[in-house]
This record gives sequence, structure tokens and C-alpha cells, in this order.
Amino acid sequence: MTPKFKAQAGTFESSDIMVLIEPVDEGTGRQVDLSSTVMLQFEEDIKATINQVLDAMNVGHVHLIAKDKGALTPTIKARVETAIKRSLGIQEGTL
Amino acid sequence: MSVENTDFREESLDLKNPFDVKLVSEFLSNLGFDYITDDVDYSMILYNLNDELIGTGSYKGRVLKYVAVAPKFREGAAFAQIVTHLIDIVIQKHNHIFVYTKPANLVVFKGLGFTEIATAEPLFSVLEFGYENIRSYQDYLRSIKRDVHVGHIAAVVVNCNPFTMGHKYLIEKACRENRVVYLFVVEENRSSFSFSTRWRLIKEELGHIDNLVMVKGGDYVVSGTIFPAYFLKKEKKSDIAACQAELDVIAFMRYIVPILNINRRYVGTEMYSPVTLAYNKAMIKHLPPNGVELIVIPRITCGSKDNYISAYKVRQAIREDKLDTVIDFLPTSTRRYLLSEDSAHVRAKIKSKVTRH
Repeated sequence: MTPKFKAQAGTFESSDIMVLIEPVDEGTGRQVDLSSTVMLQFEEDIKATINQVLDAMNVGHVHLIAKDKGALTPTIKARVETAIKRSLGIQEGTL
Repeated sequence: MSVENTDFREESLDLKNPFDVKLVSEFLSNLGFDYITDDVDYSMILYNLNDELIGTGSYKGRVLKYVAVAPKFREGAAFAQIVTHLIDIVIQKHNHIFVYTKPANLVVFKGLGFTEIATAEPLFSVLEFGYENIRSYQDYLRSIKRDVHVGHIAAVVVNCNPFTMGHKYLIEKACRENRVVYLFVVEENRSSFSFSTRWRLIKEELGHIDNLVMVKGGDYVVSGTIFPAYFLKKEKKSDIAACQAELDVIAFMRYIVPILNINRRYVGTEMYSPVTLAYNKAMIKHLPPNGVELIVIPRITCGSKDNYISAYKVRQAIREDKLDTVIDFLPTSTRRYLLSEDSAHVRAKIKSKVTRH
């Protein structure tokens, strides 16, 4: 699936993560820009979690920007999932 | 501590309602801000459940402004909540968000994931956030870069509002004296002539020159964006202009020069505009110590000795309907454009308002 709209999920608050999705042209691949307050300790873990969600939702071509403030793994998963659903226009029940 | 989100209540402000405006301006004036409603597109306020006013935030276009939290609530999440609220709205319309703040507050915004572009001590820092960033602009620069490693590589930054013989002379002179010339055209549409018009008129006239590369100024070249003069009411206007200029020059030095290997920058002498004067001063301070030679070219004249060519005079002449007095200032492309019907709306716009740009 390829995102159609710009979308975001999350906040800037502590223990949360802000995820922004930007649609890109088919064939560009995934670009994940991550910045985190715990970059040194968990950069790879957070990226792995994000990629895992993208894989699960079958999103191959996307520009994803994440600003993390120490979110736990379930939070990261939820935020990425919501952002992707919003960008696909299939998120229901919020906004 | 209870759940943070339930501690606060967000409310949008009705900017037409004098009571709302008074509420915020009183709150802000206690914190040293001077709230001007014309300066914002939207404002929000944050209350706690005792209906105390905790903080506020606003934006204009893609610039966040007046983000402030009362001192006794600064330890909580109020600040993050205000910024989140504003970004939620702004990011719908813009890919790129800016914040100007005091260097002392730099760390607060960095903590929220903003990236610092440049700092001019002691007044300003500018930060960015969004889908596009300085890296995207650098990628663009790499895509148009000429592969030249030896010889002089020059940069010229122009607004060309409108394009005159003075610009043409400066650019052609630079092209003769250098291997490659990168011509940055200020992209911001705050001038009477739109970016696409300015770009087209230059291209028509100079597009044939081999070693001239036209570059879009993006958001980093003379991005006067929106002057954050509001929180600096104690400072002199000239100091603000100087710092603003310094920000631009630092950004140019830090992000553009290394990519394109620029080692010279051409500027024209400035006669009338204090802002450009401040800009030239900032360049003298920052460019030569960093290995970029600054070359100041005296303005050329037309006819008599004192008749300097200036885009300002051209706009003045349009305003007074005396285009024929400056017709010799204009290269063929601009002349043709100004005499044609295509420019009718631009001329009307210039006549209708008295601004310096």
C-alpha cells in the first residue's frame, strides 16, 4: 500500500513519539528519519519497531519522520500504525 | 501526578473578540511580549481545570509565534501540548515550519524535535521542523552542482524586483571573472514581482551564459520570513536587522558554501536600504574569515553620474506612472514585460500600496 495523504500521529510530550508521514512516488523506497532523546541507546530498536509496523502493513514507499521523546515500543507501534492509516485514509473513529 | 492530558483544556481564540484578545495580550505582556493580532493567523490558549490561564501559542503562515507558558507551570507538559496543537494545524498546510526564539530557549525547542538552523547571538535562533529540511535543500543543490574543482566559484544573491541593467551588469561581470557562477534568486514571494516572473525575466536575458547556474533560493537564502520583532521591543530595530542578516549569512556559510565549494561572493554597493546595508556588514564579518572572498561592485549609473540604477527607483517610477524615465534601466526582457499587458496586475499592485518592496 502507498500512502496518499500527509498524516501525523502522536504528540511532543514526554514518553510519546510524533510520527509524520509524507507520500512519495512509487519506487522511491522507504526513508525513515528518526530523532530521539534516547538516540544513542535505542536508535536501532526504534527503527526496527517502525520497520516492523511498515512491513506488517505492507508499506514499501514512504517518507516517515519520527521525533521520539522516549516512547515505549507499544506506543511507537500504535503511533506509526495510526499515522499510516490516516495517510491511507482508512483510520476510523478519530480526528 | 495525574494523567497529563486531562490537566489542561485547549481553546482556540476568536481573534475578532476583543475580550479574548485582551485576555491573551495581558497574559503575554506580563511575560514581556507585545501581542499584535495582525501578527498572527491563529491563537490558542491553554487552561488548567481551575480555569487558570497557563499558556498560549500562535502562528502566522508557517511560523510559530508567541509560544509562552506562565512561569509556575513550566515544569509540566504544557509547552509540548501547545506546540503539538499548533503543529497539528500548521502541518496540514505547510511542509515546513519555522520558529524564531531567543538562544536561551533553543534547547526547549530542540527537545521537541526541532532542528537548529542558525543562531545569531544574543538575539535570535531559528529552528525548523517538518517534511522538508535543510537536507532536502542541500540535495537540490547537489543535483544542480557543476563539477568544477579548480578556479573561482562565485555566488550572487539577487531578488531582482524587478530585474534591471544593474543586476545584469553585476551578474555578467561575475561570469567573466569566474569559472562558475551560482545565481541565487530569492524565492520568497514578498516582493511586488512574483518569483516565477523574476526567474523568467532573468532567464530570458541571461540563460545563454554557459557558466551561469540559476539556483532557487529556497527557504534559506534571505528568508526574511516573518520578522520576529514582537518579542524584542526593547531592542533597537537596527540591531534586529543586523541579527537577522547574520542568521542568513551564517546559514549561507554553513549549508550552501560547502556543498557548492563557493569561494567568492559578489554584492553591489548599497545606497538606500538599511536592511541590505546590515546584510553587507554581516557578510564582511562572516565571509572572509571562512575563506569566501567578498567582492563589492559599485553600482552602475545611467546617463548622469548620480543616476544610480536601482530596482527601487523602477518601482517608484511605476507607482508614479513615469516608466519612461527609467526605461534605460531595464534590460530587454523586463522592458518588454513591463510594457505588455501581462504586467498590468503587477503594476496595479505596486501603485495601490506604498511599501519598500
